[in-house]
Amino acid sequence: MLGLTWIRGLIARRSGRLAATSAGVAIAVGLIASIGAFLAASKATMTTRAASAVSVDWQVEAQPGADAASVLSTTAAAPGIRSALPVEFGTTTGFEATTRGTIQTTGPGVVLGLPDGYRSTFPGEIRDLTGAPTGVLLAQQTAANLHAAPGDTIQIGRAGLAPVSVYVDGVVDLPQADTLFQKVGAPVGAQPQAPPDNVLLMPASQWHQTFDPLAAARPDLVTMQIHVQRTHQLPGDPAAAYTDVSNAARNLEVRLAGSGLVGDNLGSTLSAARSDALYAQVLFLFLGLPGAVLAGLLTAAVAASGADRRRREQALLRTRGATTRDLVRLGVFEALLVGGTGAVLGLGVAAIVGQVAFGTADFGATSSTAIAWGVGAAIFGLAIAVLAVAVPAWRDAKNLTVAAARRTVGRAGAPGWMRYGVDFILIVTAAVVFWLTSRNGYQLVLAPEGTPSISVSYWALAGPALAWIGAGLLAWRIAYVVLARGRRGLARVIRPFSGGLAETVAASMSRQRRMVATAVALVTLTVAFAASTAVFNSTYKQQAAVDARLSNGADVTVTESPGTTVAPAGGAALAKIPGVRSVEPIQHRFAYVGADLQDLYGVNPSTIVGATKLQDAYFQGGSASELMAKLGANPDGLLVSDETVKDFQLRPNDQVTLRLQDGRTKQYTDVPFHYIGIAKEFPTAPHDSFLIANADYVTKATSTNAVGAFLLDTTGSSPKAVAANVRSVVGTSATVTDLETSRRVIGSSLTSVDLSGLTRVELGFALVLAAAATGLVLALGNAERRRTFAIATALGAKTRQIGSFVWSEATFVTLGGLVLGALGGWILAEMLVKVLTGVFDPPPSALAVPWLYLGAVAAVAIAAVAAAGYAAIRNARRPPVTVLRDL
Amino acid sequence: MTTSAGSAPARVTPSDVPLVRCVGLGRTFGSGRGAVVALHDVTCDVAAAEQLALVGPSGSGKSTLLHLLAGLDAPTAGTISWPALGAREALRPGPVGVVFQGPSLLPPLDVTENVALPLLLAGVDRKAATAGARTALAQLGLDDLGAKLPEELSGGQAQRVAVARVLAGAPRLILADEPTGQLDHVAGAQVIDVLIEAATALGAALVVSTHDEELAARMAERWQLSDGRLQVSAATSRRT
Repeated sequence: MLGLTWIRGLIARRSGRLAATSAGVAIAVGLIASIGAFLAASKATMTTRAASAVSVDWQVEAQPGADAASVLSTTAAAPGIRSALPVEFGTTTGFEATTRGTIQTTGPGVVLGLPDGYRSTFPGEIRDLTGAPTGVLLAQQTAANLHAAPGDTIQIGRAGLAPVSVYVDGVVDLPQADTLFQKVGAPVGAQPQAPPDNVLLMPASQWHQTFDPLAAARPDLVTMQIHVQRTHQLPGDPAAAYTDVSNAARNLEVRLAGSGLVGDNLGSTLSAARSDALYAQVLFLFLGLPGAVLAGLLTAAVAASGADRRRREQALLRTRGATTRDLVRLGVFEALLVGGTGAVLGLGVAAIVGQVAFGTADFGATSSTAIAWGVGAAIFGLAIAVLAVAVPAWRDAKNLTVAAARRTVGRAGAPGWMRYGVDFILIVTAAVVFWLTSRNGYQLVLAPEGTPSISVSYWALAGPALAWIGAGLLAWRIAYVVLARGRRGLARVIRPFSGGLAETVAASMSRQRRMVATAVALVTLTVAFAASTAVFNSTYKQQAAVDARLSNGADVTVTESPGTTVAPAGGAALAKIPGVRSVEPIQHRFAYVGADLQDLYGVNPSTIVGATKLQDAYFQGGSASELMAKLGANPDGLLVSDETVKDFQLRPNDQVTLRLQDGRTKQYTDVPFHYIGIAKEFPTAPHDSFLIANADYVTKATSTNAVGAFLLDTTGSSPKAVAANVRSVVGTSATVTDLETSRRVIGSSLTSVDLSGLTRVELGFALVLAAAATGLVLALGNAERRRTFAIATALGAKTRQIGSFVWSEATFVTLGGLVLGALGGWILAEMLVKVLTGVFDPPPSALAVPWLYLGAVAAVAIAAVAAAGYAAIRNARRPPVTVLRDL
Repeated sequence: MTTSAGSAPARVTPSDVPLVRCVGLGRTFGSGRGAVVALHDVTCDVAAAEQLALVGPSGSGKSTLLHLLAGLDAPTAGTISWPALGAREALRPGPVGVVFQGPSLLPPLDVTENVALPLLLAGVDRKAATAGARTALAQLGLDDLGAKLPEELSGGQAQRVAVARVLAGAPRLILADEPTGQLDHVAGAQVIDVLIEAATALGAALVVSTHDEELAARMAERWQLSDGRLQVSAATSRRT
């Protein structure tokens, strides 16, 4: 009964404070529900994207002596199989072609026999380049080695048997060659096997005619695989999907009883995706949790701003016989009221945010996931309310005397944590943890290949988390010390606002330093959160663009078809296309480094840096400009990958002899280069190993200046639109790709996850938090001091003089919070980017600072403070007796 | 002091120029059916150096009248003026000092700063204001409380400091709204003592609202308020 009366009284008389506390809970609930549901939806997207990137889900290899038909029927009958087709593999001793009067031969290779319907079932496996799409098809590099083209005849060598001649119908590219020619059943952690250099595809019937005799004589030279496409009805979480798929693969192997091994391409891809998903989880944790904690702190601050009143009310209730238990019960009722209201409001906010940011109230996650996150967020909201309202009420009821409860300012010294230097301890610990976790070789997410277990080193999160908390406490300490010991200085600073009242205002602020320092700390934490989140997201976005640029090469890339020879002058026609700012030709050759075949890029060092926006992060041991200048100064200089340096134990200026194909004779010849530096990434280059040299030197050495690709800079114009223009000019003679399309199709990196929705949500909440941390806290503090202002007015204080109290404190809190928060945000952003370096590919060379957004945060904070101050002063204009009577 | 109900002032003493003049003064709170008439048709003068008690039961309109006299509130009927003190805007801080019923010291300021505040609000420089505050505290024997915070004072001490704050401003009219309402008998008597001392020292008029007959008896004159109406009564002169 007392409880109901109390609640009715609170609603009638303290509606403002109740609403503000509920709003704090609502922000926390809304943020968690939004981010959680978005995380679930993102994971599901990652699973779908990873699964769709796989062409052949499983390659089931029949073991020697196994009955191929039985393996096929068992595989096809396994659960979850959509289609299963047999593919024959035959080993050839080599190919030979006679073209233009010269005989070209290759080393050993592989001939595949493909059944009817293979290409329509697995469309991503083979890409047509020239000639017919069916019949005998030569892989691109094999065609280049043999100088063969559609219409030519080549011979297939068979061990111990006579070679067989076949007519080449077309030339194709094998985008999935790495998995297609994988060693099925290789032990976990084994080095991946390089695909064969020489490959030929032919219809299954023709393959059997060619290789059945070989199979009879040398069964070890032929194998049969079942290529499988599974139904992609997978759990949303990549980790769960991986477990499902790998369990199914093991189940099939059991069914095959040793007659077949499963090469689980889908599982491997999902394995990579699950570590990406875990990274995403860490990312959301990093970026979302501080916001929710901040909302909780704000709720506590709002509740605490009414603490004096609550203590007085408790004192009154005590004098009328209320027990501690009664007082605690009333606190719990209030907590449940604000927690429940905040939770309902927060879930409503999350639904609205979802509708606005993602077009759906459940963020694309399943209903059950959305409900789970909603319930979890609501429980979190209730917990915040209990901690912010009920626990302080319990503490006061238990510990305070009636007299102590009436105290509002007190002479309490520095809090215990400050005396023991907890803030310094946290910051030093954060620095140590950061140092330990950001050293080279540290892996935040560990997803061992072939095992279902994945792990995140949450320890690494401790660095930024401790730094954030330490920054908040340090801001509290700085504000506290300035107010306690710098009263004279403060009076001088605020004299422009306060005139003759400066010392009195400074004294007032100094005595209320705990409250003012709390406000400064809250603003600092909020600004640091908003700034670090914004900078991180901005840097993430920047690197996603860099990643896409790296993959695509430039805004628009024109890749010449194999077999065509285009000179650098061919770029002149491209330069005339509207929207093209500059054209940079890049040579592309294949070169043997020892037995390794690597991509060699011939560049013009003097123009490539500006034309292709080369990033410093692409290189090691110097900036992009420095390394290109070095290459320009050394005509036979060679930049190699880190892996090559290690494999061949290279030291600077070591001679590296490459075997390059001569453009005229088509023969491979030795060309000396000198190793001068390391390139980690290069536009259009593969990740593992490649070489960069001077185009002029390569031209001289290979007797051809043929360009592999033209990189087009379209600054100021849409790459997609310019690409369309370029296509209309070059037709089918070259492949034209653009940055925007490339950004969407990159599937191997986390940067492919579109964070724009999450960014909008987080940055929106950060703005709300900034407004709440400044305006709301000050407004409630001012509301609690209405009596003080009314008395001052009754004593004759003019509005301007009341304003000097209001504005001095507001300015101190806002400026202090903004400056300390900006500093903390910058440090945190640096830490986040470093700790989450695995998210970035390539790592950023500098942070991207979204000045516009940060300006908006500052503007919102200042506007909220101005509104709170204006409201306080407006209230002070009321007749003081009216205010005193109302209070 | 001159009072009348619904008529012009009956007499003027002891000065020809009253500090406050009220004619047909009324104050109604709210409107319509819920309106509460707190004061009704009050006509009175407050003369310089007068000391009077405003008595009446709770809700009789004592505080309302005191707030109107202090310029803290505006009447809804009749007129009020301060012929010897100036315009309403110039009353505080300045010629009018007010002692409130409840705690009226600003919590974040110490006793000296609280006492100096009206002087600072009036534009007195800090050194002079602080000196004035110390003098006022010393006059009332409160100089040892100067560095204390309001929450460290007893109720009686806080009210005496509030009186010192009035004294520091050297007003010509002191208005005290039930200054002993929340104090025990001994503390209340001490507060009244210092109020009378302060008013006498300053030569200021003193109007104290109270429902304590014993306290009222210590004042030179008394006014009776009942249901918002000011009763004309004979002056008493039983100052102790």
